[in-house]
Amino acid sequence: MVRVFSTPTCPYCVALKGFLKEHNIEFEDIDVSQNMEAQKEMIDKSGQYGVPVIDIDGEIIVGFNQDRIKQLLKLT
Amino acid sequence: MLYDLIIIGGGPAGITAGIYAARKKLKTLLITKEWGGQVIKATEIENWPGTKKISGMDLIKQMAEHLKQFEIEIKENKEVIDLDKKGDNFSIRDNDQEYETKAVVIATGKIPRTLNIPGEEEFKGKGVSFCATCDAPLFKDKEVVVVGGGNAGFAAAIDLVKYAKKIYILEFLEEMRGDAVTKEKLAQTGKVGFSVNVAVKEIKGKKFVESLVYEDRRTSKDTELKIDGLFIAIGMMPKVGFAQKLVKLNKSGEIVIDKDNYTKTPGVFAAGDITDIKYEQIVIAAGEGAKAALAATEYLKNK
Repeated sequence: MVRVFSTPTCPYCVALKGFLKEHNIEFEDIDVSQNMEAQKEMIDKSGQYGVPVIDIDGEIIVGFNQDRIKQLLKLT
Repeated sequence: MLYDLIIIGGGPAGITAGIYAARKKLKTLLITKEWGGQVIKATEIENWPGTKKISGMDLIKQMAEHLKQFEIEIKENKEVIDLDKKGDNFSIRDNDQEYETKAVVIATGKIPRTLNIPGEEEFKGKGVSFCATCDAPLFKDKEVVVVGGGNAGFAAAIDLVKYAKKIYILEFLEEMRGDAVTKEKLAQTGKVGFSVNVAVKEIKGKKFVESLVYEDRRTSKDTELKIDGLFIAIGMMPKVGFAQKLVKLNKSGEIVIDKDNYTKTPGVFAAGDITDIKYEQIVIAAGEGAKAALAATEYLKNK
């Protein structure tokens, strides 16, 4: 399962979500500016105060790291 | 493989240089860490002719798509670490490869200026942020510092007042340089404190940022302020270490160019915010990119 923790205003979040949509990857879109519980989960899991964070089957990636995301989603 | 031209950078300058070079049928490679850069962070652009209003993200996406229509090789997610002469040509290295080219356009733009104090790098993403627009919502009911009392710092504070409990804006100089109107707006929230003549010295914490040590420059007295986050908004800086051997830099670290985008080394051109041109605008960077590509074309013809 793919989950994206993001805020509405962050450009890299928009870029990341656009990238996933382009590759037809389904994901859960979590707005951590509204959902405080999810925000806490994100900070705990990533050890970071920063968005976006993407959770790919339990693997946490901070930021829009295209190479790593491609690797985990087996995209070419 | 020997290229005619390698363009370093994927912002408006680099992309435009790419379009022009491809249309001139130069064998061109463009290497970039990402598309855009500073542009991405602009939420609304209203001075790009032909488009009344567009976000930076959308504009750069359109530019990149436009570029990709042409015959041009592109390496994304690559950072150039070295540029040097190789006989009559130039060698360019990124993290995993070396390339050879007859001419180069440097268009790597600027990145946010750092404070260079202990803790800054360590706590990046752990309370230290360079993007209030992105990260402000994570500081709901927290106490934060904005370093920089210019318009960028004020803009960061505007993003933060919606969430944070308390915001301290710290300015190194004797007065806040940001617009008075914005300052007034911030002051009215009752959440924002302003301090001038402040030199930030160290960011401390365990897992996340916990405090900031700063010096009052008039009294030389240090204060430790308990905070949860620190937003750095002290302007932008060029990053040209990789090109140092071949270009001349001005006092601000920008590449010195002539009116045709030549650097001090024939065959090495530069364009956009990385250079010493005075005005930094998307439309100007694009124009400079075009100029650099045209100058490179002429250089290659006469070589």
